[in-house]
Amino acid sequence: MIDSLYIAWQYIRSNKIRTATLIACITLISFLPVSLQLLLGESEQQLMSRAVSTPLVIGAKGSSLDLVMNSLYFSDEIPELISMEASDRVMESDLALPIPVYARFHARGNSIVGTTLDYFDFRGLKVTEGRNLAMLGDCVLGAKVAENLGLKPGDSLLSSPETLFDLAGVYPLKMKVVGVLQKSHTSDDLAVFVDIKTTWVIQGLGHGHQDVTNLTDPTLILKRSQSNVAATAKLYHHTEITKKNIDSFHFHGNTSIYPITAVIVAPYDDKSGTILRGRYLSKDETLQIIKPEEVIDGLLQNIFRIKNVLDAVIAVVALATILAVILVFALSLRLRQREIQTIFKLGCSRLTIARLVGAEIFIIVLSSGLLCGVMILVVNQISHDLVRMLFIR
Amino acid sequence: MNKRSEFQNPKPKIRTVFFCMACVIIACSSPIAAADNGTSDKLTVYVVNYPLKYFAERIAGDHARVVFPAPSEGDPAYWMPDAVTIAAYQKADLILRNGANYAKWVSKVSLPRSKMVDTSAKFKDRLITAEEVVTHSHGAAGAHAHESLAFTTWLDFDLAAKQAGVVMAALSRKKPAAKDFFKKNYTALENDLLAIDDEMKRIAAKNLLSPLVASHPVYDYLSRRYGLNMKSVHWEPDEFPSAAQWSELRAMLKKHPAKWMIWEQEPMKASAARLKAMGVDSLVFDPCGNIPDQGDFLSVMRRNGKNLKPAFQQ
Repeated sequence: MIDSLYIAWQYIRSNKIRTATLIACITLISFLPVSLQLLLGESEQQLMSRAVSTPLVIGAKGSSLDLVMNSLYFSDEIPELISMEASDRVMESDLALPIPVYARFHARGNSIVGTTLDYFDFRGLKVTEGRNLAMLGDCVLGAKVAENLGLKPGDSLLSSPETLFDLAGVYPLKMKVVGVLQKSHTSDDLAVFVDIKTTWVIQGLGHGHQDVTNLTDPTLILKRSQSNVAATAKLYHHTEITKKNIDSFHFHGNTSIYPITAVIVAPYDDKSGTILRGRYLSKDETLQIIKPEEVIDGLLQNIFRIKNVLDAVIAVVALATILAVILVFALSLRLRQREIQTIFKLGCSRLTIARLVGAEIFIIVLSSGLLCGVMILVVNQISHDLVRMLFIR
Repeated sequence: MNKRSEFQNPKPKIRTVFFCMACVIIACSSPIAAADNGTSDKLTVYVVNYPLKYFAERIAGDHARVVFPAPSEGDPAYWMPDAVTIAAYQKADLILRNGANYAKWVSKVSLPRSKMVDTSAKFKDRLITAEEVVTHSHGAAGAHAHESLAFTTWLDFDLAAKQAGVVMAALSRKKPAAKDFFKKNYTALENDLLAIDDEMKRIAAKNLLSPLVASHPVYDYLSRRYGLNMKSVHWEPDEFPSAAQWSELRAMLKKHPAKWMIWEQEPMKASAARLKAMGVDSLVFDPCGNIPDQGDFLSVMRRNGKNLKPAFQQ
């Protein structure tokens, strides 16, 4: 047997290109399905982990996928807006902790996420540089945002207007960067966090300006009566919130009806969660309460359906490759006809010739197996970071 | 020889070292353990005004450390804390708010909603919209006002008792083991507040129609609860009113012939004298939004009641 392996090895050494091609074909065809399985498994785990760690989400009735993707992964698809009353309603129920989320605006291509301080405790986010949100206009950056934009505490960041064509719209707000979050390898790394009230200032629902009741410049007054002062468009609005002007900032009307995109709900226990879900089942209800785990699970089911198609394609390619390999060996045997006849004339039996060919195939398959094993080990090692990189860009 | 014997028998030294180490460990660990027990057991409660501090302290007793970090001078309703103080509020176990737009700084800072308790949320429908507010409008938002709600809710002692009830419920949620203790203390506080409420009703009932002028519009809840016939001007006790303010008062007195002006603090002697010349006496009814120089919330309110009595004599 050793002799056969020796002769096969010598033959392989003298036909390097053919052997390398065969090894590459077999390696790739066995590596592809296994690595795909590994990466999909890791993606599923990572996608699900964020969904599983978010017990319930309340939002407007409509696409539950948009709602989950926006409130968990801050996607650009904005679900229909709801009001802060949805959050107050959960708070008043005393069944769960509501965390309002308003993920609508952007700053230099990154999502601005308006929320409350409870979000940071809920997600276990820690500030590594600077401090947490304290004043209106403060922002805390996700690790990746700080890295990409080269920002640190003390710098400022301007919110982006929703549309370039809204010339009479609200001025962008110059936010003060007060902290940078520890890397969490989640969507939080790509977000700019502000207090929910700051997002309302960005939207123009809250603002700061000169005290209109004490204006002396007549060009600033459109109409003055005993009970109302109407100001002209010339009235100066502050575009940055500072210690000096923070007193002039105020909100129009009742803040409990101000808009948000969703409410993340953390029930105090399983029973409270079930009771709460039951309260949103009515047909007249304008809100929906969803379990992100179920939505993401549904999404992954679809992804796995696509995976089945991929598996079928790989199976066909594998079959074609195996046939090609058989053909290569058959042709190789035909090309080596004279060489085989010489061996035969030297007194070797057919079995010996079969053993020689078998040894060749064994060496090629073994090499492919080893190479494939090493590649799978590498993918397994980096799959965690690779998937994070794919999801977190 | 001696040296040799010391090396040969090291036990006495080792014993001494062990004894010293044990002493150090005991000495260090005891106070730490005691301090830990002391701090970890106590709730840290931050409040936005003195009445809530008083209510929380009365109800929680030794179970909580109640902190009211506003400076002793000035009105806490218009105070703005710095970032360090806000961080301290953020770390508290419980943040008691007065509600009714009191302490506007709360709407300009980031505080954890899970820790905040609005003590007037349960009687939102009973909050008073302040009169004489000039609205303003600009852009598409329409007219709006910066100040619209009267916020000295605790001057209606029935509402004050309700606020104290919310404080009790919040403390009980945070520390269920002490629920009965909180309930007992709350009942005592409620009785005290309702006793003042009864006393105020008795005082006012003597002459309900007696017209009064308030130096500041902070007595809306007091006025409504006890049926006072009160109108307000915007005077400061430590500032002598301007000519315009005097003429505004004179015009008011023609339609509303008040004989008494209610001040938040002792007015300037010159102001009181000029008022006296106009036939208007001065009395102090301290809203007690900040920590009083003497006494506590109850004693200040009892003193207020006594001060108010002459205004209702027939």
